[in-house]
Amino acid sequence: MIVADRKKIPEIRDMVQGHNRILVVGCGTCVTVCLAGGERETGIIGSALRMSLKLAGRENVAVHECTIERQCEDAFIDVLGQRVGEYDAILSLGCGAGVQALAERFPKTAVYPGLNTQFMGILESQGVWAEKCAGCGNCRLGQYFGICPITRCSKRQLSGPCGSSRNGKCEVSEQTDCAWQLIYDRAKSLGKVAMLESVAVPQDWSTSNDGGARKVVREDQCIAGMGPKA
Amino acid sequence: MNTAAPDKASITIDGRTSEVAPGVTILTAARQMGISIPTLCNYRGMEPIGACRVCIVELETPRGPRQVSSCNYPVEDGMKVNTDTPAIRESRTIILELLLAEAPNSKKLAEFAAALGVTSTPFEKKPDGECILCGLCVKVCGDLMGRGAISMFGRGAKREVLPAYDEKSEQCQVCGACDFVCPTDASDHTHVATAATRKHLTAYNQYLEARPNIDMAHPQATPRVPFIDRKTCVHLTTGECGLCAEVCGAGAIDYEQKETIQELDVGAVLLTPGFSAFDPLRRIEYGTGFDANVIANTQFERLLSAAGPTKGHVRRPSDNATPKSIAFIQCVGSRDSKMCNDYCSSVCCMAATKEAILAKQHEPDTQVTVYYMDMRAYGKDFDRYFNRAKEMGVSYVRCRPSSVEQVSGTKNLKITYMSEDNRCVTAEHDLVVLSLGLEPSASLKDQVDRFNVMLNQWGFVLTSELSPLETSRPGVFVGGALAEPKDIPDTVMQASAVAAKAMALLASARGTRVKTKTYPPERDVTDEPPRVGVFICHCGSNIASVVDVEAVVQRTKTLPFVVHAERNMYTCADDTQDQIKDKIIKYRLNRVIVASCTPRTHEAIFRDTLRDAGLNPYLLEMANIRDQCSWVHTGEPDKATEKAKDLVRMTVGRTVGLKPLVESTVPVKNAALIIGGGVGGMTAALSIADQGYGVFLVEKENVLGGMAREIHETLDKSNVSAFVSHLIDRVESHPRIKAYLHSTVKKVDGHVGDFTSDIVTPETTLKVEHGVVILASGAKELKPQSFGYGKSDKVITQLELSGRIARNELALPEKSTIVMIQCVEQRNDERPYCSRVCCTTAVKNALLLRKRYPKARILVLYREMRTYGFREAAYREARENGIMFVRYDDKRLPEVAVDKGLTVRVTDKILGRELIMTPDLLVLAAPIVARDDRQDLSDLLRVPLNADGFFLEAHVKLRPVDFASEGLFLCGTAHSPKFISETISQANAVAGRAASILSRKRMPVGAQTAWVDPNKCIACMTCVHVCPYLAPQIGKDNKAEIQAAVCMGCGSCTSSCPAKAITLHHYLDVQILGAINSLLAGTFEEQPVETTYLEKVGVAQPRWKK
Amino acid sequence: MTQQPVILAFCCHYCAYAAADMAGSMRLQYPSNVRVLRFPCTGKIEENHLLAAFEKGVDGVLVAGCLEGGCHFLEGNLRAKKRVQRVKQILGEIGIEPERLEMFNLSSAEGPRFAEIVKEMNARIAPLGVSPLRKSETHLENGIAEMALQAEKAIQGGNR
Repeated sequence: MIVADRKKIPEIRDMVQGHNRILVVGCGTCVTVCLAGGERETGIIGSALRMSLKLAGRENVAVHECTIERQCEDAFIDVLGQRVGEYDAILSLGCGAGVQALAERFPKTAVYPGLNTQFMGILESQGVWAEKCAGCGNCRLGQYFGICPITRCSKRQLSGPCGSSRNGKCEVSEQTDCAWQLIYDRAKSLGKVAMLESVAVPQDWSTSNDGGARKVVREDQCIAGMGPKA
Repeated sequence: MNTAAPDKASITIDGRTSEVAPGVTILTAARQMGISIPTLCNYRGMEPIGACRVCIVELETPRGPRQVSSCNYPVEDGMKVNTDTPAIRESRTIILELLLAEAPNSKKLAEFAAALGVTSTPFEKKPDGECILCGLCVKVCGDLMGRGAISMFGRGAKREVLPAYDEKSEQCQVCGACDFVCPTDASDHTHVATAATRKHLTAYNQYLEARPNIDMAHPQATPRVPFIDRKTCVHLTTGECGLCAEVCGAGAIDYEQKETIQELDVGAVLLTPGFSAFDPLRRIEYGTGFDANVIANTQFERLLSAAGPTKGHVRRPSDNATPKSIAFIQCVGSRDSKMCNDYCSSVCCMAATKEAILAKQHEPDTQVTVYYMDMRAYGKDFDRYFNRAKEMGVSYVRCRPSSVEQVSGTKNLKITYMSEDNRCVTAEHDLVVLSLGLEPSASLKDQVDRFNVMLNQWGFVLTSELSPLETSRPGVFVGGALAEPKDIPDTVMQASAVAAKAMALLASARGTRVKTKTYPPERDVTDEPPRVGVFICHCGSNIASVVDVEAVVQRTKTLPFVVHAERNMYTCADDTQDQIKDKIIKYRLNRVIVASCTPRTHEAIFRDTLRDAGLNPYLLEMANIRDQCSWVHTGEPDKATEKAKDLVRMTVGRTVGLKPLVESTVPVKNAALIIGGGVGGMTAALSIADQGYGVFLVEKENVLGGMAREIHETLDKSNVSAFVSHLIDRVESHPRIKAYLHSTVKKVDGHVGDFTSDIVTPETTLKVEHGVVILASGAKELKPQSFGYGKSDKVITQLELSGRIARNELALPEKSTIVMIQCVEQRNDERPYCSRVCCTTAVKNALLLRKRYPKARILVLYREMRTYGFREAAYREARENGIMFVRYDDKRLPEVAVDKGLTVRVTDKILGRELIMTPDLLVLAAPIVARDDRQDLSDLLRVPLNADGFFLEAHVKLRPVDFASEGLFLCGTAHSPKFISETISQANAVAGRAASILSRKRMPVGAQTAWVDPNKCIACMTCVHVCPYLAPQIGKDNKAEIQAAVCMGCGSCTSSCPAKAITLHHYLDVQILGAINSLLAGTFEEQPVETTYLEKVGVAQPRWKK
Repeated sequence: MTQQPVILAFCCHYCAYAAADMAGSMRLQYPSNVRVLRFPCTGKIEENHLLAAFEKGVDGVLVAGCLEGGCHFLEGNLRAKKRVQRVKQILGEIGIEPERLEMFNLSSAEGPRFAEIVKEMNARIAPLGVSPLRKSETHLENGIAEMALQAEKAIQGGNR
């Protein structure tokens, strides 16, 4: 799941400066689960933005709210359809992908992000989300017993812990578990500590986003005439 | 000669016309119409005297306007009156200015005038003037009270109110009526009366506060009906007065009410009258009665209460100062053989600790000292609480103070006591609180006597350890402190327990006297637009004397969807309710608002009215314009009226969004699953089975009986072994009990009333269906690791000793030395709790050993003897029988060496010397600890454990045998260490609570529950995490579902759901926001939802808001 | 007529509302500008309800629940406390004094405490004055118009 959290109201207010009709669009998928951009948060941010604009002397700005199933899917975006024509700006409470999907779909409407998209992660406990995946494009979790050192080790160490692993914690923060401690513990419980003795081959970063935005193409699924854009 | 007087007269006041009874005064008519006219000398219920003239109004006459005083001018048919013209305002201003000159010193008058816009007077002020000479006091004293103790004397400027000859008079009955009616606070009866003023003190506030002669027992009294104090009521003692009957618009005052004797035909009697506190006057050395700053703990409790006489500020009586140093003296009237109370009152140690903590929380700088003998923190988590008090700085001094003396001048108090090192010490405190013992009062004993039950030596009802609820008379049961001093949870338990006892006895008669009411079929209002009817109550004068009810009606009529609004004298009166039903039908109302008192008391009544009229009861809403408006804004009629309008408007806003709700029912499986076959489990099983329900009793050992099999007899010499075998026999032969030995419960599915579980027996796994689950899995005695246990066969535990005594396996020399060590491996950092039973067990076993070995030396090494309740008597008996009790310090534990024979060394706190013993037997009070399978059971039933591993009940005080999840209960030592008698009480309590579910064929499921819209749910699990009752579950379609039978309707899930997929019935957003938006609101734009595209692609509807 | 501050009290049924009733039966006088809304539990009160009150121009909001540890529904009041904290933060971001919102805890037996809370809240709002979001006197009529529309919506829409 993609995890995000909300931007502060003044930042949003300043972003939408100059617009008179704003549609706040929530997303009903990842960001709802991480309690950042679902229908509830859309209502809260809409209400807060209205008040904020009013206090800034922009009482006549119309701020309306709507939550769609998924902002990264055209069929759901189309639900907004013609209605969007009535607005001069959209505040998206989706992840970065959602914001861009809306912007692509509505070329004549300004689209702004209401959230800061953080990472791919999971719920650790109610109200706490933890990063688990960096989307490097070359998954080696099998080698590390299901714990990703690229995401979870502050130094992205691939061949064992650094010298600052203390009592299972990372030197960067007392709150951060040392990924290598976790990898070791898990290897031990699986009886595969020996596997850690070999030096890992370097990571092939060419699959990561270093070379610009990536695409995944499944030829067999492509519809004739609708292949990847050049 | 005239024609018969018409029975109605029409009057128009300020443009509003109304019909009133002819002959009433203009003022009365105005009040009935909800129009307020200011007055000083008019007192409701009394003849008008027309003295102050403030109530003047303008009559429209053919000869022009005429000013008259409204309080004594009778209404004539067709009369037109104005109360607020410029001329009237001018006249009233002059009148008030004159009155202000007459009584410039009256604060009350100044406030009254200021409210009418008059703040100063141009006239010469009368020096010291407080009285406006209206004569109301003279009139009330003479006419109403029939005393005539005061009259008007002098003429002109010298006129004044005086008693005869200006001397104090015996004529005055000190009723205080003159002071009460005086509009300027000038009257002072103490200048008139020879007799002293008697204050009526409230029993509720422990005689710390005066109360009126007509009063409610306490603010939350049930029934909420005031009573008249017969002893001091003027009418009931002299026949005069009777004002309250005049004033009460509902005619509810009945002076003729008498005690009546009713005969009831009953099958069982439950005695639960409680206890009374020890009379501290019997211990005069502590200064009660003559030292003002010595108070009882019951009084201190009221001082701490926010609703108490000092509003929660601790003040000492002599000077209202905040005490800097507070002392508690424990055991006043308890553990006191001189007072014949040689038992422990069980609750005072913890009560004093609680009060000390609260006092510290109120004023952190307060020094609090508790003078005590033994800290009896024996209950669940009590020791933790005691430790917390010590950490907060409460000091505990071990002694029994010999006297309390007041210091002249400061009125502080000096406490004298012998310290632990045998010095005579005096300490000074600002306030002394006496922890009074619990005892049955003479009147209680008298009451109980009529039931012909036997009492024990202290006057408590006699019970035995193995039948703690039965009195000597069959069918009469006892619960609570009447059988032995006990605290709230033990009392609540016993209350449920005696109920179970009675229900078992009366099982055959259950339900035979139930009457069911029938209602007309419910009208379907789904497709109707809201048609709101509003009924606004005067509540006699409770609302109407402050709120302009007619104005509220008129305002309400302008609101959208309101098709009918009216006002009623008493909306809850039977005839008004009939009218409401008629109006519902006549105007085809489908939403009803009653603006009156609080829904907490009246919602049920009006919901029933709606049902009678064929409307769903949830289409009712109430606006609280009495308790939360007229009663609390008496001095501001205009603002109160505005508020009432707002409250009704908000209610309309909410009401239009109301939806009919269905209260459904689910079938109940009339059987119980009991986990654990010890004394607790078996007792609960028998009680439930005797009440007529099935029981599945699951015991993991291959024999029933549990820990009790190790115990031979109780302190009162009841035979436990025989009792347990009798229980086993009964359980095994009972047709409604199925016992599964060597079995465990593996799975429990479902919810209250309808569970399905798997029982794994040695042969098979079987599925059973039941309505409740009772956890009685017990606890165990820990095998100690210290004091030489396991290293020498001379070292055994108390439980092992009990067994050996029972089986006669002890062979000790005649003159042997037997040492017992208490608090072994408990009340320490690892196990900071007390096992409750060890002190008494040690005393019991020591006495048994004494009988067998009269020449033996028996020593008990203890930290604190916690022989609470009547167990104290045995402690005393043990000391009298030469058993030595040696107190050791928890910092210096006794040392045991086993290498060359057994040696015990201990430092005696009192002697200050080390004792060395070579015992023939060393007995250790090992702790009772939770069973090893506690976590499995906790997971199985999804119920919590406390830090010590014992199961945690729903509410420590008020729901001691319930788990928070409905339909799950617990009893016995799984809850916390306890005696057999307490387990028996608790097991019966569980049976009583379980029967409240099992006795129904179907269980009502509350209508006000949460509901998940599956189209919106994204299965994020938030609701599952948030709900304290485990009501939401992820269903088959991977969407959350809420089990209505489990949902308590708190709305926690609805307010957490990020997709707003969950709604709480009756608290929908449209209802809540409807109320908020109609209080104050901005402009509103509504845009239609464009749906054509959606239908085409078949995706979920967008959730448009605004 | 000068505008009086209006305080909206979100009260739980079991404690705060009962305490308010008790203040009534004890005839304790407190400022008349408070309007009580009843909830089954403070745990039911949602952020958007609190924000809606401010958006509509209410000058102060108090949320009153059971004493901590004494919630009829175990922990609803603790959730409410956190939710109130969050809304206070958002109010701060918007530029509305967070002091206009506060959570209080009291037991059903504390009628005097309820009266005190209303006074406390008034003393707190007085220096802040009327909310900057308050509309002119016409608010009432507009409010009623809105009510009508809300109601239409209620009739049309299902459970929303």
